[in-house]
Amino acid sequence: MSSNENKDILEIMQEDLLRALKKPRAERRWAMAIDLKKCIGCHACTTGCMSENITPPDIHYRPVKEEEIGTYPNTGMRFLPRPCMQCDSPSCTQVCPVTATYKRDDGLVVIDYEKCIGCRYCLVACPYGARSADVGRYYTGDFHSKTYEVENSGEYGKTSKRTSHWRSPIGNARKCHFCIHRVEKGELTRCTTTCLASATYFGDINDPQALITKVISKPNVIKYKEELGTKPMVYYIV
Amino acid sequence: MQIYGVFVPEKERLLSYFSLFKQGKGGLIVYLSLIGLILGGTGFASIFILGHGHTINTSSLVPWGLQISTYVYFALVSGGCIFTNFIGNMFFHEKYKPLASRVIFMGLITAIAGFASLASELGHVERMYLFMVSPNPTSPMFWMSVWYTADISILLVEYVNIQRHVHSKAMLYASFIIPIITYCSLGSLFGAVGTMPYYYSSLLPIYFLFSGFLSGNALCAVIVALHSKTTGNMRLVKPFIRLQKIGLASVFVLTFCRIIIGLASNLSGYEVFRETFFQNVIFGIVCALIVPFTILMYRRTIGGLILSSLLVLFTQFMARLDLVVEGFRVPVFRAYDMPERISYFPSIFEMLVVLASVSLVALVYVVCEKTGLFEIAGKETH
Repeated sequence: MSSNENKDILEIMQEDLLRALKKPRAERRWAMAIDLKKCIGCHACTTGCMSENITPPDIHYRPVKEEEIGTYPNTGMRFLPRPCMQCDSPSCTQVCPVTATYKRDDGLVVIDYEKCIGCRYCLVACPYGARSADVGRYYTGDFHSKTYEVENSGEYGKTSKRTSHWRSPIGNARKCHFCIHRVEKGELTRCTTTCLASATYFGDINDPQALITKVISKPNVIKYKEELGTKPMVYYIV
Repeated sequence: MQIYGVFVPEKERLLSYFSLFKQGKGGLIVYLSLIGLILGGTGFASIFILGHGHTINTSSLVPWGLQISTYVYFALVSGGCIFTNFIGNMFFHEKYKPLASRVIFMGLITAIAGFASLASELGHVERMYLFMVSPNPTSPMFWMSVWYTADISILLVEYVNIQRHVHSKAMLYASFIIPIITYCSLGSLFGAVGTMPYYYSSLLPIYFLFSGFLSGNALCAVIVALHSKTTGNMRLVKPFIRLQKIGLASVFVLTFCRIIIGLASNLSGYEVFRETFFQNVIFGIVCALIVPFTILMYRRTIGGLILSSLLVLFTQFMARLDLVVEGFRVPVFRAYDMPERISYFPSIFEMLVVLASVSLVALVYVVCEKTGLFEIAGKETH
């Protein structure tokens, strides 16, 4: 820990990430921790995610819930960023009729865009509302074909251009995937790197040396809707 | 396999009806349903050509809308037809026999109409083959597809049996048991979703069986009433009035239980029951159940049966839409400018899909009726 004393947490997490990538995939367990005391509600994570994954209108992989608390003059704001919880016991994978959404051996819940039939059952089943339906809308309306909106987002490390409603990911369910296309290249998730307040931690919780493992081993760490038994892999520091 | 006289009407009857049709003597319902099918088909095609983004109003907040509720409605009507067929065979054998092929045929055609509506809602219907290639046995939707296929297959065999004067007790029982499993699976598809309190939870499979019986029986009652009017044989009118009353009473009990359970709970999401209380009581109970029951109490005639049945068919359709859509009223996660309560109104294209499904059922049935497809089975004795 002493060598990390003067380092930025992003640098520490970057080293943790590279160390995790040296292990076989099945030995990793990706998780995220969000420090709600640090979160200033700037939405940089949301916009960073939108540009990274080129998400269409009304699809936010990582929205931030804003709540006003207290009564005047004793008021304040409370923020709750919500990525996909990458549950250990996910309800979405259980209901998918064609196994288009499944849990990988590193615990990540992913969607196979070429298999998804667009029944949206997973959207209905997710208790966090973390999934969205890509029905094929564009910010630029009918002029979409000439814009960035059809470009390949590179999600899951695959090519998926939104050029027509016959092509995935249009017609599919979509969700946060912990920027696995970046992570597997040795880059941290976009929301982690864009967070102004360094409130987002990401890493492999199977690594006892990783910063995230230390951060989540505190009594002030909770999980969202834990009582549902979904075993979410996103921790909130309160 | 004989096609003419079993699946399609006899060639001569079909040709003579076609010449009548060209002269404008095909019957008002046929012309209306043909126009409906053309209009609805245009809407249906538009969804596939233009894509969901330009045609339908469902979204991430309301992932299932009018097309899914239409599917559920027709699937349950189909189930109800099968239950009616079983009861008819068991308790009114001789009286019911001339109607058996009509009822089973209606069960088949409504199942197909429902599936057409479902197909227009899926993001990638062309990948449906994955149900066989990459199945997920933990998914209620997968099991629903398995049993739905079995259900249609059994119906098909039962229909061919009736048309070919083959009487099989085993098939009759199979055509009763398999739909029970099918529509329980459909119920569990919704009921298993713990995050949607409005979906009745474990009550839904039972509710679906009874409301399916009610809606399918109402459609059969219309057939019975019209058939009785044509033939002058009134023997089945009274039994069908009684059956519809039983259906109305059982759905009333379940709807009442569900409202009480919903109102009594103070868990998150259950507030939807308080917010929809008046619409549930006024439309879901009074208009949908008490009014038809009252009609049947005081007008035990063909007219009364047709009136109450049409009312049941319409209100049950609205009940399915209410069930599917109101489940999303309270969002599970609110962020940004998302409203506190989610509202949904179907687009014109979604309404056209409903029109296409209804017109398909009406057109196919009436043409088959007019060309004597069901007369063959009815005339013979087992």
